[in-house]
Amino acid sequence: MSLHRIRLLMWKEFLQLRRDPLLIRLLFLMPILQLILFGYVVAADVKNLPTAVVDLDRTSTSRALDASFGASDYFVVTQRPAETELQRLMDTGQISIAIVIPEGTQAALDRGETAPIGVIVDGSDSQVASVGSGYASQIIARFNADRMAAQGVSVAAPGIDARVRVMFNPTLASVNTMIPGLVAAIVMISIMAVMGQAVVKERERGTLEQMFVTPIKPVEYLIGKVTPYAIAAVVQLLVVALVGIFWFGVPFAGQISVVVVGLVLFMLTSIGLGLLISLVSHTRQQAQQLMMLLLLPSFVLSGFIFPIDSMPAAIQPLSWFIPLTWAIQILRGAFIKGSGFEALSTQFWVLALFAVVIFGAAIVATRRRLTE
Amino acid sequence: MSSLSRIGAVVAKEFIHLVRDRRTLAVVLAMPVLQMLLFAYAISFDVKNVSTVIIDTDHTPASQAYVRSYQSSDFFTVVGTAGDLSAVDRVFDHNQARIAVVVPSGFGRTLADGGQATVAVYLDGSEPTAARVGQAFSTALNQVYGQRVTIEWADTQGLDVTGFGQLEPRVRTWYNPEKRSSDFLIPGLMVVIIMVVALQQTAVSLVREREQGTDEQLAISPMRRWEMMVGKVTPWTLLAFLDLAVITVVGIVFFHLPLRGSTLVLALGAALFVFCSLGLGLVISAVAPSLESANMLGLLLSMLPAFILSGFAFPLASIPVALQVVSCLFPARFMVTIARGVFLKGAGFGELWPELAALGGYAVIALGIAVVLYGRRRR
Repeated sequence: MSLHRIRLLMWKEFLQLRRDPLLIRLLFLMPILQLILFGYVVAADVKNLPTAVVDLDRTSTSRALDASFGASDYFVVTQRPAETELQRLMDTGQISIAIVIPEGTQAALDRGETAPIGVIVDGSDSQVASVGSGYASQIIARFNADRMAAQGVSVAAPGIDARVRVMFNPTLASVNTMIPGLVAAIVMISIMAVMGQAVVKERERGTLEQMFVTPIKPVEYLIGKVTPYAIAAVVQLLVVALVGIFWFGVPFAGQISVVVVGLVLFMLTSIGLGLLISLVSHTRQQAQQLMMLLLLPSFVLSGFIFPIDSMPAAIQPLSWFIPLTWAIQILRGAFIKGSGFEALSTQFWVLALFAVVIFGAAIVATRRRLTE
Repeated sequence: MSSLSRIGAVVAKEFIHLVRDRRTLAVVLAMPVLQMLLFAYAISFDVKNVSTVIIDTDHTPASQAYVRSYQSSDFFTVVGTAGDLSAVDRVFDHNQARIAVVVPSGFGRTLADGGQATVAVYLDGSEPTAARVGQAFSTALNQVYGQRVTIEWADTQGLDVTGFGQLEPRVRTWYNPEKRSSDFLIPGLMVVIIMVVALQQTAVSLVREREQGTDEQLAISPMRRWEMMVGKVTPWTLLAFLDLAVITVVGIVFFHLPLRGSTLVLALGAALFVFCSLGLGLVISAVAPSLESANMLGLLLSMLPAFILSGFAFPLASIPVALQVVSCLFPARFMVTIARGVFLKGAGFGELWPELAALGGYAVIALGIAVVLYGRRRR
């Protein structure tokens, strides 16, 4: 192995990259754009839902209920329409949740009966539907409790004092889980996208054959080819992690060593996947499409955006076969929970296995191709 | 030779390229099906069956009755019980459960004495959506349970309980009563797929012509500029419409997606949207110097906005105003509203004309810019 030859190859890659200034700019724009989109859009927490309150009761109780919805962060009462208007407001999307207080609500309460309150949610927006109905139930339950306390009974009566506490991420900000996931995702995207293309390009142009007749050895070729893109990926993930910590205020509770080991294993896996893609593809177009075919299930099934817990039980095992799943669990564990090697040992072993198998297969395949 | 036959010649040439590259063709046709399976089966926004561990250190009939209220709830799935408090840390560290309920010893005695019995509910905040809904549901569950305890007590004390009427939420979900995420996602997915096929492929196919130098050969042929552009984009337009039809049929037949509104509005919207995507694709192909940057630009201008800024999976109402403005710069957002409106809400021209107008305007502007840029490049 000759360091000199590796350096020359790296220099060649660098020169080639420089010829396409738009590509370099895009490579740096990518993490920033993804930070903005994932940090502000995907991690946006549902609140300020436009709400309509239809008060058919017109009593002090119904007005108090109306007010408790208005006082909540989750709902903004924008309309107080007639009941017949609801359909139109919902159809045009002006409201996404409606509270209907039927006539006779207060009278029913005074008789000691259970009075139904209509909560209508817009099911064409699933996230709003599930979160909104939960919040509405919570507000109505609290309203009941307050009413009871106002009766003056509960002071002497037994009751439950529930202390609901959120651990690890007390503000429940989604961005705190999104950024650690994005760090892993960006490693995968940028390594696979650029590296997969780079090798196929040499093949398309026939320069790969020229490479064989030079004294360069397969291992040297691999290191020289991979290093520039690995460096670019490290720069990108540093940008994401630093912007996440300093701009979005993501807490870092864990050890750096956990993150570094996890990322190194995951980078080896991604490099291996990138190489395998470029070995089976004949054109850059095919490599690009193959990459998309791999990236999409990875993003959807890894828990990066959509929690694995909510997936049907039959689908969940699929996520075990995706390296990104384990990388994200390691990064989230380290960032949010401060977990160490002991708590994450399963994740580390699985990721190590992926790295050995995929990277090993890629090296064997490259070597075979180069010596053929 | 008429311009129609010249366009036909380019279309035929493109189809030959397409058929020769079987893999690309397979991917373009398999992609929508794969995406549909993934999104329709794997993703659910309805948070329920959240794994819960119960740590009952009281072991009295009162505490067991309290624990049962979790077991009978749809939201909590009790996956285990533990004896001591240290289990909370272990369970959360190893991702075994998202919620831990701790009933301290003395729970039953406090209630019997007429006091406020304390319980603790711990939520794993590293999965914020589950935690947020879990917070709401556990608060509500405890309040309801507490009131029941109070009323039972008041009843045994011979107090008048008629003043304790309760409000009870009756939740109804319109348009999608079973909260099936496939109903919600498939109309939006249509938009993502058209954007990717029409935009990305158009962008790439023109750049490739340039990289291989064949565009100069085309330039000296009697073909006019617009004829060549029309011929180039026609195959991808056809493929985009084919994908669209596949998704609609599979969605309706296999996923029982309701088609409540006007098919005409949907077709019109889709056609306008395909033109918008083609326009954007042509603009990219005019500015990108290489295949790599065309791919990357396509990714930035098609995939990311179509997935994230369109309201396809993530509601746009809660995002910062600046980004809402940005989302209006991409046609995907309007098309998602149209697709979802027609499929789920039964909307027609009356409700959707602003979106259709926006798409129409967008298509004219994007194609106009593409023609200007292309003309400049040729000269």
